[in-house]
Amino acid sequence: MFLTVIGALNEGFLQTLKLFFITLLGSLPLGLVICWGSMNRFPPLRWLCRFVVWVIRGTPLMLQLIIIFYIPGMVMDQNPWPAGETGRFLACAVAFIFNYACYFSEIYRGGIQGVPKGQQEAGQVLGMTKGQIFFHVTLLQMIKRIVPPMSNEVITLLKDTAIARVISLQELIWAGYAFLKTSHGYSNLLWPLFFTGVYYLIFNGLLTLFFGWLEKKLDYFS
Amino acid sequence: MAILEVNNLEKHFGSTRVLEDISFDLEKGKALAIIGSSGSGKTTLLRCLNFLETPDQGTISVGGSVIFDAANRRSQTDAEIRKKRLHFGMVFQSFNLFPQYTALKNVTLAKELLARERPDFKANKKAILEEIRQEGLELLKKMGLEQRANHYPNQLSGGQQQRVAIARALALKPDILCFDEPTSSLDPELTGEVLRVIRGLVEQKTTMIIVTHEMAFARDVADEVMFMDKGVIVERGPARQVIENPQEERTRQFLAGY
Repeated sequence: MFLTVIGALNEGFLQTLKLFFITLLGSLPLGLVICWGSMNRFPPLRWLCRFVVWVIRGTPLMLQLIIIFYIPGMVMDQNPWPAGETGRFLACAVAFIFNYACYFSEIYRGGIQGVPKGQQEAGQVLGMTKGQIFFHVTLLQMIKRIVPPMSNEVITLLKDTAIARVISLQELIWAGYAFLKTSHGYSNLLWPLFFTGVYYLIFNGLLTLFFGWLEKKLDYFS
Repeated sequence: MAILEVNNLEKHFGSTRVLEDISFDLEKGKALAIIGSSGSGKTTLLRCLNFLETPDQGTISVGGSVIFDAANRRSQTDAEIRKKRLHFGMVFQSFNLFPQYTALKNVTLAKELLARERPDFKANKKAILEEIRQEGLELLKKMGLEQRANHYPNQLSGGQQQRVAIARALALKPDILCFDEPTSSLDPELTGEVLRVIRGLVEQKTTMIIVTHEMAFARDVADEVMFMDKGVIVERGPARQVIENPQEERTRQFLAGY
């Protein structure tokens, strides 16, 4: 029985990890775009970006996920999401990427604004282009500043993937919950649901180690 | 012949006039010290020369060609400004070294990035980078920092950091080197080592503009001294004369405080 349950939970955890990494892959760069927009000199773009960030951060991710998954099918003739697990996963990916990109954009903004203006000016008087100043002067200093808040956010993301259960994505919590009813020939099992906590805990332990290592790696300058 | 000519420069921040009708020139190989109390516009003037601020009025010419004219300031592209600002080098009060790079890399970075624009960069990459590295080491040696080439800024004293910053500004061989209160963040002991380096540059006929509060230094090292107050040039002349025998009442008042 134990191996069967573990097998089912592993399958759920795989889906959890897929959502976790896809979200990071999409939201890390998208956050940079939103960050650029919210600091742009062109006011309408700046207002638009800050408005979007306000709405996304101001409402529950669960609600956003429900809206993204159900509303298109209600207003269009045909549901744009593919049927089954694929559609659920895509809807989750879109909702999570948008949501986390907004949080990341604010962290980036803090990181960029935290780098002293003199750094940029030193690059300017040395004839560097804006791109060179960003990539060769500001970026690493910004990364050093955002590692602690980012590690917080990434750890939260892993646990937030559980929200995907609300549209029945077959992730880890869903897999554990299934044993409460019937799954893989077993019924009324409570412990698999509790056992999912071990997965989150171990993986977040690894994330904590990684971010600790990264922080140490950037310790050589101040 | 003057290498730098500044004509009728004017700068406002909102409704505050920071610079008013600033005109002066500077001969090649001469050192000009600018003195004056805080808020007199000294730093803003240096920042205008380095394109960190855009003047509202006036022109700046280097070597006889106009590099800035407020009349058509909007027509300048970023690339043009980048090229023009290389006429000037800048040493900041707060050093502004890049903390993630070693002393040597701080000196060579801008030059390496510029070298990438050379058509032969790909073919001779190794040789070009090695040459830049050697030049960087040479400059650090000149600053008495050859032992510190691989140190990061946070491993250096303030005086050492400022000397690295001077080497960094010299690396691009500017026509005119600007110092914005280079010793104001340093304690007296460290001030000495930085002033010695600047004195060395004067002896080698580097064209310089030095904003400073070190009156004795301005008197002994600079060729000329310019006193600014409330955004205007009050008095200008040979260094010793302005400091020891100022003609204007306002200059006398200011110097009496030292």
